[in-house]
Amino acid sequence: MTKLAFERPIIQRINAGLPSKYGMSHRLEPLSHIDGTPIKDLIGEFGSPLFVLSESTIRKTYKEAHRAFSSRYPNVQFAWSYKTNYLNAVCNVFHQEGAWAEVVSGFEYDKAIANGVPGELILFNGPDKSTEDLQKAIRNNSLIHIDHFDELYEIIHLSKEMTERPKVAIRVNMDTGIYPKWDRFGFNYENGEAWDALNRIMANKNLDLMGLHTHIGTYMMSVDAYRIAAGKLADLAIKLERKHGHVLKYIDMGGGFASKNTLRGAYYPGTDTAPSFDDFAEAITSVLMSSDIKPDHLPMLILETGRAMIDDAGYLVGTVIANKRLADGRRATILDAGVNLLFTAFWYEHDVRPVQPVSDQTEDTTLYGPLCMNIDVIRGNVMFPLLKKGDQYVIKRVGAYNNTQWMQFITLRPNVVMLDSKGNPHLIRKREVLETINSQEVMPEHLKQFKL
Amino acid sequence: MVKIKKNIAISDSGFVFDPGSGDSYSLNPSGLEIVQMIKLGKDFSAILEAVTEKYEVDSDSFERYYYDFIATLAQLHLTEPDGKD
Ligand SMILES: Cc1ncc(COP(=O)(O)O)c(C=O)c1O
Repeated sequence: MTKLAFERPIIQRINAGLPSKYGMSHRLEPLSHIDGTPIKDLIGEFGSPLFVLSESTIRKTYKEAHRAFSSRYPNVQFAWSYKTNYLNAVCNVFHQEGAWAEVVSGFEYDKAIANGVPGELILFNGPDKSTEDLQKAIRNNSLIHIDHFDELYEIIHLSKEMTERPKVAIRVNMDTGIYPKWDRFGFNYENGEAWDALNRIMANKNLDLMGLHTHIGTYMMSVDAYRIAAGKLADLAIKLERKHGHVLKYIDMGGGFASKNTLRGAYYPGTDTAPSFDDFAEAITSVLMSSDIKPDHLPMLILETGRAMIDDAGYLVGTVIANKRLADGRRATILDAGVNLLFTAFWYEHDVRPVQPVSDQTEDTTLYGPLCMNIDVIRGNVMFPLLKKGDQYVIKRVGAYNNTQWMQFITLRPNVVMLDSKGNPHLIRKREVLETINSQEVMPEHLKQFKL
Repeated sequence: MVKIKKNIAISDSGFVFDPGSGDSYSLNPSGLEIVQMIKLGKDFSAILEAVTEKYEVDSDSFERYYYDFIATLAQLHLTEPDGKD
């Protein structure tokens, strides 16, 4: 005779009065499969915890984003923001879909080149480009987005020594009505600095001014901010044509679209509040199309969408280590993945689900990671079903920034697999071992021996 | 042996009412089953036997859940203060 499944016994206070912020009945549906593949089998084969990326979700999201813009504007180009997730397999899915590369360091630049991206299809952003980086980018005809005047003058200087003509754009920062203003990067629009920089570039005979760039912020929930930004870049483009007869090749609106994750402390879930690609596309393209830019001079529209493009495709799956009762009676559940792997737990109230079916019963639970640190909280105060030691969990929407901002701290980073379009797993980053870390260390001769 | 306070009302659906404090609680099905056995005067080993016979759970795990559960009942003042197992 087969026995019945056992659930931990619990008792909880019934709170009369106000419902919790998501309403009274809040049921967390288990998630047992990703793209048709059982999570249990993935953990069995590749270990726990484990990052799982869905190739079909990446492609589907990309196509959705591309369609939103290309159905409204004649010339659209996406560039994959490497910092968001630069695992090579992820980058190559985007490159196969047609995305160029957007990089912000020499390391990311080299990664894009090593992946086979042609130099002239790399956008080089950021305040930190070394002289060698700039020389390389100029030699490869990459698109250099200038961040500040020191960089502009260095490029002018290099252009005199080199045979290739630097292909440049400037990054513009501006007031788009959102707070905080991102004025750290690029040249300011309102105080005339951006216009000044453009005039200096036009006055120089060695540089090719290709476009204008802005990146107004991240996790933006306002499409109006994009409308304002597109309008200001269009104004600069019109002034350039009017004064210098110069027609820009592109306007790059950067990234920043909110993903469907819920920000910490937000009242409504991100699935309800994040504008769609269509909303962002409508705001940006309608401004460009109705601007005074001549129809046959409409520049290519470049987008560097990061988190909204990849968040949904990433999952972090793992195993419950233990349960505890906190001093105030609340439940504490300890997971085998902490903030070292899930950096975005600092920003988001991640959607954590059980893998195996559970009953409707939930308990006020704090989900902790395994690190010996107070800050290691994956989710605070969530009504969570009863998971036992050894049960599995899955954290949804972790595709953006975690595989780049994760820390090697206390534990080693785990395997990362990608599920292909048929749901077959491919190992795309091997779990770290002691040797991975120790191979970078050098022991001075006099410290090699000790006696205890 | 643990004893549930006499004045605590427990319904067959797992609804618990403490007239002393005015608080109400809900038990999940396994919690209810265990509380009912405690009310019948069964001790830990009898409850263990009944549960492991019927459910897919090993005795070590059950022991942990059981004592955690009892500790919670005590924290909520639903058991007699001198009740020892
Ligand atoms: C220049 C630039 N482009 C694109 C991105 C991607 O942004 P997001 O992930 O918010 O779309 C960033 C992120 O910081 C960035 O700095």
